[in-house]
Amino acid sequence: MHYTIRQGDWPSDLDAPVQAIGDVGLPDTVAVVGADFPGLRPSFVVEQGDEVTAGQVLFTDRKHSQIAHVAPCSGTVAQIEYGPRRTLSACVIKRTAQTTTQQSVPLDSSTEASVRDALQSRGMWPAFRTRPFGRTPAPDARPTAIFVNAVPGVAAPDPHVVLQARTELFAKGAAVLTVLTDGLVHVCQAKGTPLCPITERVHIATFSGTAASALAGTHIDRLHPVQSGRQVWTIGYQDVVAIGYLFATGQYAADRVVAISGPLSNTPQLVQTILGARIADITADTLAEGTNPVFRSGTPLGGREAVFLGRFDVQITATTRSAAPRKASWLSGAKGALIPTAALDRALAPRVLPVPLMRALSVGDSEAARSLGCLALIEEDVAILSQLCTSGADYGVLLRQVLDELMEDAA
Amino acid sequence: MNAKRPFWASVAGVTLMQTIALVAPSVVTGLANPVGYAVILATSLLTVWFWEGLFAALRRRKPSGHGITTALIISVLAPPDLALWQLALALSLGVVLAELVFGGRGFGFLSPAVVAASLLVFSFPEVALAPGTANVALATIPGAILLLFLGLISWRVLLSAAVGAGVLLMLSIDGLDGLAIAAAMTFCLVFLVCDPTAASATNPGRWMYGLLAGGLIILFSGGATPTTEGIVFAALLASIFAPLIDHLVVLAYAKRWKIADA
Repeated sequence: MHYTIRQGDWPSDLDAPVQAIGDVGLPDTVAVVGADFPGLRPSFVVEQGDEVTAGQVLFTDRKHSQIAHVAPCSGTVAQIEYGPRRTLSACVIKRTAQTTTQQSVPLDSSTEASVRDALQSRGMWPAFRTRPFGRTPAPDARPTAIFVNAVPGVAAPDPHVVLQARTELFAKGAAVLTVLTDGLVHVCQAKGTPLCPITERVHIATFSGTAASALAGTHIDRLHPVQSGRQVWTIGYQDVVAIGYLFATGQYAADRVVAISGPLSNTPQLVQTILGARIADITADTLAEGTNPVFRSGTPLGGREAVFLGRFDVQITATTRSAAPRKASWLSGAKGALIPTAALDRALAPRVLPVPLMRALSVGDSEAARSLGCLALIEEDVAILSQLCTSGADYGVLLRQVLDELMEDAA
Repeated sequence: MNAKRPFWASVAGVTLMQTIALVAPSVVTGLANPVGYAVILATSLLTVWFWEGLFAALRRRKPSGHGITTALIISVLAPPDLALWQLALALSLGVVLAELVFGGRGFGFLSPAVVAASLLVFSFPEVALAPGTANVALATIPGAILLLFLGLISWRVLLSAAVGAGVLLMLSIDGLDGLAIAAAMTFCLVFLVCDPTAASATNPGRWMYGLLAGGLIILFSGGATPTTEGIVFAALLASIFAPLIDHLVVLAYAKRWKIADA
């Protein structure tokens, strides 16, 4: 099935990266960043100064002790920082060369219990995010479908290139996913050769069109809407490879192919690195000399300023530092009203009513927002509204507040 | 953020674009009666900016210039022989009640120009608003195209209002002068009925809102050609109903998910 997405058009001036994977060496520092897991309260099993190996458990979720977060590479735990209310801010690891080589032992993927246990105890569980809410799923949750997002976004890596040498691992990962759900595993990709074999439980849907065609929210809306109380999970295609690798060898794979683009990068390109890599370490070669860039991790519209590569991100944009707090000029009008324009009507690909939703979000009316379909969305879906709206409000933040409220009610 | 925000994606940018769209009809109106128009425009601008300045000072905000569009619209609608105190009074109540008490441009649900024009007619029965002329209508077209292109007015409202008015006219009266009707309606349709803050904000709602406004225009005008008063009252009543129309659309949408669940 093919879907052409017309909504959510955003003109991009980014050059498409050269679709060949460059080797820039491993970063000196990596981190697990709390901003990827809002509200996560860790209970650490390592201490500052400890030596860790790749795939070793760093901390578990205090609410669900089965869910482990692991080290992407071997090294020394350099820093453990907490945020407000003992949430995670960041756990920084200084990389050292791997000394011991681990044995390759395939894991059992025949029963659901063994799959869940392996994913949870070996650090792959946080690769899933739920819809609604966009959070790590509970250990015993069962989704009605799983969405693998392999649609290349603007200036993002082309999954066909990334998966070229890993098609078998990808297919194995997708097969493992079918164990977790009663429904289908939807692999969403661009037009072209199927990324994995189509089976009874693994379906392929192709998407093309605007930047919104690369958002999981769009795929879910077209294939399996969640407004009516269903839960689905989303996962990135590189994490599916990592799951395939985990079950094939028993080892944790933190590899990530990331696109680096933006006005400050000389040659937009793909680089092979690992999860949580310090962005400055992996972009040094591609940046012009003497620049003082700001890195955004994530999609060009929805990404956040970051020092370390985000857990769910496959692209980095290097932009110039904006001059000290922008003075509110007459035209920029810091805070204003929401004036409904035609651009807002065409901004969201999921079938929601944008202006009533934006009004409900701005006043924090969670009940109205729910009936308008906000459960189908997370921050990345509404990033475009913040750009187009006359009010200058950040709809990602507003949406998260409403989702948090709805999540508390549901619990 | 790779591309820049569109420059009109701010309230001030919207006002700027609406002002540009209003320049041509204002010039055409002004040329017909330069002195009278200049006095009316100056009074209108002074009035709206006085109130905006006062509210900005009371709320400790920077003064804004959004009232310029209200003043320009009213200056086109006002008859040349209008007493200036009547204009100032109606405009004061219009901008304060329809816009400033809600917090400024875009926060209210009525167009201040529509409210001011309605108050003018309600309060002073001897006042007749200037009928729409062919010249003003022609001068409105470039601005209307600009606003349509930027999405600041909805083609759905424009079309459905024209259809609503046209159908009702055809049913009630024989032998219509299409050009005269279009000339009478164009300016008010573009700048009063289609005002984005006063119209419905959902696409299905916009069709209903436009049909309602178009129908009311004919109902209130009561003749072969719509009168400016009729259009002003129709715009006022339709925009009072716009939030209700939107609410019904939202309810219908919410129902869709419940049905999908069952």
